[in-house]
Amino acid sequence: MASRYRITRAAYLASLNDFREFIKEHCANMPGMNTEKLYDVQLAVDEACTNIISHGYAGLDPGSIILDLEVAYDKLIVSLTDFGHSFEPSSAPIPDVEAPIEEREQGGFGLFFIQQSMDEMDYQATEDGNKMILIKYLSKTDGGRQ
Amino acid sequence: MKRFFRIRREPEKVVPDLGVISISLLERDATLPFTIRQLNNLPENVKRRVYRGIFPPTLLTRFGIDPIQWTSANKEAMVFLKAEPNSEKVLITAQTSPDPSTEFFALELADNSLNGIELNLIVLNDPTAQRFSIDQTEDGKPTMFGTLKRNLQAEERALGAGLAPGQVRAGLRGSRLVFEQIDTFLSILGHRAYFLEPLTYASAWVFERRGFAYVRGHKLMDDIHREFQPGGALYSCLDDESTFRRQTQANTVRGRAWAIHDGILETFGARWDNIRMVKQIGRHAGVETFPGAIY
Amino acid sequence: MKTEMQHENNSTIVSVSGNVDALTAPDLANAIVDQISQGHVNLVVNLIAVEFMSSAGLRTLLGGVKAARSHGGDLRLISTNPGIDKVLKMSGFHNIAKVFSSQDEAVASFG
Repeated sequence: MASRYRITRAAYLASLNDFREFIKEHCANMPGMNTEKLYDVQLAVDEACTNIISHGYAGLDPGSIILDLEVAYDKLIVSLTDFGHSFEPSSAPIPDVEAPIEEREQGGFGLFFIQQSMDEMDYQATEDGNKMILIKYLSKTDGGRQ
Repeated sequence: MKRFFRIRREPEKVVPDLGVISISLLERDATLPFTIRQLNNLPENVKRRVYRGIFPPTLLTRFGIDPIQWTSANKEAMVFLKAEPNSEKVLITAQTSPDPSTEFFALELADNSLNGIELNLIVLNDPTAQRFSIDQTEDGKPTMFGTLKRNLQAEERALGAGLAPGQVRAGLRGSRLVFEQIDTFLSILGHRAYFLEPLTYASAWVFERRGFAYVRGHKLMDDIHREFQPGGALYSCLDDESTFRRQTQANTVRGRAWAIHDGILETFGARWDNIRMVKQIGRHAGVETFPGAIY
Repeated sequence: MKTEMQHENNSTIVSVSGNVDALTAPDLANAIVDQISQGHVNLVVNLIAVEFMSSAGLRTLLGGVKAARSHGGDLRLISTNPGIDKVLKMSGFHNIAKVFSSQDEAVASFG
């Protein structure tokens, strides 16, 4: 039986802490959870919310970010909904982690970290809001996926 | 470990610009959202049948109005539908007697430019409560609920009677049912969300409780809450010098709303403007910008 | 997020506590730039007391490394939090700058 939780906050940077604490509060004691995975989820949520705050609502009076969390026995699902500009994948190239410092772009890690930290990511932009879904598997075999 | 990463834009459910809902269109896709304009282009009786769905039946039956016929026991029309062909708006009003001043319900929905739905107006009044003419100046000109002009004497009396700005009468209990019904009605139409711009701080608070989130203005609501705390910029403007700026107003939704209506946000260069809210059908966003608020 | 400065031998230790995210990273950037502008170009940024750091913190540190080096110095890190280590590893920070697990080692590396 999955448990569902929700937190909604205004899309500005001071809300990042609330979202991270919310994840900690509801995920820390899940079976199969450990410190590393908890950090992964907090990181992914933080990076995704930072993107929404910095780019999604850029130039706008900030609206809400709605975080929905579904906790099942072997995975957790985070959904982030916002009502700002939708994300353009072309604007976020994968950073080169081998490049020497002179060639490093100033930005670019947020999306990369999300992909590294979570097992699945899905993003959908609609007129009724943007929704990002992040999934993390928790069982030892990672849900049997290869 | 397989990982995948997808970004999609949902194909916009653009209805062919026929302006007409035909059987073949209905048969094609059960999830296609319909616009108000398309509904308004339906034959009259089909239109009335569809718009009946806006009312929770008990809202009408409690006033002795038949929910199917929209008439009183005397067979007089009590519910009025303004849904002109080719119009992108629909206005439905209901009253308890042939006298228009007994109007207790008004709702206007409209198409927005993105094929979404706007709730332009919702009024839910107790028809037996005292009426305050905040909607008209002393010489009878419209005030647009006090946003264009103000009738200060009427507003003072309304404030004293416990109304929020913009209200001509005390509200009717039952707004939760009305909003749930709007969700149901719009889901039948195929919409997943609808939008509105709250007239006042008090209405924004009510909409938060009904499950709305903010498209714009969540930060402003947080700022307002912070600055009405003792020591805040708005709190310090409550100098008890006028009826609309008493210190006790910091503690209640209505009190804050009156101070804001009176222009207190100018203190930090803001206005009650550009706040936009969204309701996702079937979902409650859980927003509470004024935790533990007393209305 | 708090920063405390300490000068030791040939370097300046910037001890950071709290969280370094998009909200607080600019404060860390300011602290680093402040030290460099005062001529303290050998910097050790101690992240042991940092609970959480995101890519915003990483960007600040990369910026700090560039700035310190352009002034003839360097910026080195102390990190023991596995989560932060993972952030550093994912970004290939170790290809760019030195990361130590103790303050003594980090300070000693500046000679």
